[in-house]
Amino acid sequence: MPVDMELEMFLRPKQYPMPPYPPKMITLANGKKMVVRQAKREDVPAILKSVHPCMFIKRDYYDIVSARLYGELLAFYYHRSKSQFVLMGQVDGFLVGVVNSRMENEKVGMSYHTLAIDRGLRIGSHLFAAKMEYHMEYLNQESVLIVAESPIGFRRWMVEYPLEATTIPHELGGGDSYQLTRDIYFKAKPRLVAGVRPVPQDLLDEAEAEIKFADDDTIRERIAGLKGR
Amino acid sequence: MRDVAIIGAGMIPFGRRDEDTLLEMLSYASLKALDDAGMGDKKVDAVYVGNMGAGILQHQSSIASSLVDRLSLLPAAADVVENGPASGGSALKNGFLAVASGYYDYVLVVGGEKMREVTGWRATDFVATMTHPEVEYPYGITLPGMAGMFTQLYMEKWGVTREHLLAVTLKNQEMGALNPYAHVEMTLSRDGIFDSPDAVVNNPYAASPLHLYDLCPVSDGAAAVILCPLDVAKKRGKACVQIVGFGQATDTHTLQEREDPTDLKAVTLASQQALEMAKLKPSDISVAELHDAFTILEIAESEHVGFFKKGEGGKAAAAGKTRLGGQIPINVSGGLKARGHPVGGTGVAQVVDIVFQLRHELPENRQVKDAKTGLTINFGGFGNNVTCFVLKRIEP
Amino acid sequence: MKKREIPIIAFKCKKCGRIHYPFHDRCLTCLSRDFEKIHPQGNAKLLTFSAIFNLPWGFDQRFLIIGIAEFENKVKVMGQIKADSIDELQTGMTVLPTWEPVRVKDGENIYGVKFEPIK
Repeated sequence: MPVDMELEMFLRPKQYPMPPYPPKMITLANGKKMVVRQAKREDVPAILKSVHPCMFIKRDYYDIVSARLYGELLAFYYHRSKSQFVLMGQVDGFLVGVVNSRMENEKVGMSYHTLAIDRGLRIGSHLFAAKMEYHMEYLNQESVLIVAESPIGFRRWMVEYPLEATTIPHELGGGDSYQLTRDIYFKAKPRLVAGVRPVPQDLLDEAEAEIKFADDDTIRERIAGLKGR
Repeated sequence: MRDVAIIGAGMIPFGRRDEDTLLEMLSYASLKALDDAGMGDKKVDAVYVGNMGAGILQHQSSIASSLVDRLSLLPAAADVVENGPASGGSALKNGFLAVASGYYDYVLVVGGEKMREVTGWRATDFVATMTHPEVEYPYGITLPGMAGMFTQLYMEKWGVTREHLLAVTLKNQEMGALNPYAHVEMTLSRDGIFDSPDAVVNNPYAASPLHLYDLCPVSDGAAAVILCPLDVAKKRGKACVQIVGFGQATDTHTLQEREDPTDLKAVTLASQQALEMAKLKPSDISVAELHDAFTILEIAESEHVGFFKKGEGGKAAAAGKTRLGGQIPINVSGGLKARGHPVGGTGVAQVVDIVFQLRHELPENRQVKDAKTGLTINFGGFGNNVTCFVLKRIEP
Repeated sequence: MKKREIPIIAFKCKKCGRIHYPFHDRCLTCLSRDFEKIHPQGNAKLLTFSAIFNLPWGFDQRFLIIGIAEFENKVKVMGQIKADSIDELQTGMTVLPTWEPVRVKDGENIYGVKFEPIK
């Protein structure tokens, strides 16, 4: 499809400047090393390959989270969302989780989604924490607005941080937002934000070389199989 | 009293069985045990179902009646046996006594639970209903919380350390990863849950001083056995397993009323009764399945049963004495920690795992070599109602 | 009711002196059915405790510290502990008992014992 760049100038939102998120490495409970890094726009097609099968998994609201994330990633790819960022986790090059969010304005962040493609290792929790780390420590924002679609998300964010209830509407259109403030973030950081920098070069090279994706059945089994945790 | 044999054993994989109802799980496990026993169209006289929470979790009652109907075992006598997380052990006791008494010849005992039907909040609340309704439950106490308070004291009195607990976690996860029936088929690394800076985040407190990976998962699952008189079993010409010892004992409902809360009297008494009946000593046991809902319990039970002296269980675990090939292999199945803990199913699952061991049918990496005797501890409440079985291999 | 009054009734066996809480129809030691009603007295000694995460339905806080303490007249009671962290606690320390809401059920406060470390 040809792109009319003159028209695009009207369709593409203005972006806030965003310093890059420096990659980090997290040692998971099984000893594997997860590289957490920022996705570039060109990474989106590879990420979508892992998100797609999750759209058909009903367990724990994976369908709604993945379907919405899929759309948001396309918006990021086609320059249709304002100041969105995407972070991803990779183990042995394989994509194990994706989170996205955006800057509502310079002070306020709007958290979108957290998708763990492998389970039982707190990958979702680690990536959500990385997303908050980016908002607070690199984008220097005052607060982030958050809602949860699944009870697991509610427990992980609202209870574990714990987030503050507000009456501010959230862009995703669900319940009122909960809010992460700088004060809450820095208090929770030692408990919830993991990872070391810099990432050893060989691991970073492996992660950047290719975003590998497991086949649909493997992904479905990991998330919704008998051993799903 | 007649001698009683287990001639059939079956289990379905534990985990999150969203697609199956509780009745289906009980039914699948029962069919596996019936087929394993080669029952064909032979009549089953009675069925005992171990289940703790169908009334609360599934809003369903009389599941034993539903099960015999579904399995076409009518008009077999059928009862549900509820004894908290020791419901499975208690159901097996009823089956054992029924055959031993001479009243019934063929008995099916099945234990199961479907806990993942509800959220974690509800499941935690469900399990907490076994605490005292007036002086414990209202405070928000949970079973992990009871275990936390127990661990605090046990560490202080008996010198158990986090290293000791870690040894149990790593061993049971390693063995669970080899067990196709286990809920958590995943090894954990010392680095990931203890040594690395990220371990603080990966493995936070769950109920201090216990951490997340000191706790068993919340599982769906079911397991079943078929019992008959030993003389009938012997005519089959195959190796079988005899229930040579049984014991059960209770202790105060609340932890606070125990003279020494670190003393698991019911475990000591139940295992003494069972070993005495079997005319065996702890050192005669080849393999044990202990109720490790929390890692501390594997250590404490290994001492109370008499495998190790008080204060030595943790050191023994860290020294590898409870591993496959060690002095007394404990929870070679992965235990509750990895196989999972569908509360009403656990007591039967432990016995099924010992039956597999005593029939020498497990792969080399899980089989205790030449296993002749096995012991199980099924721990109800927080140690207030405990069952123990001693099983023995009977050569063909 | 004042926060310092603890309206718990414990039961002292008139025959052997064993103290029971909660109530038992027969003494756990001597089987006697004759009890004297007693109230917990004075401060308490913390016997054990645990900071519990993943709380049951009905609690929306991140964690709760629960412990068992022994009053000066030997009544042992479970209660919630008013502390920000277990770092403030150790077994054997003296705690101040109070009677306060411990949970909400059907919109109503349920009262129970809370223990506060005495600094």
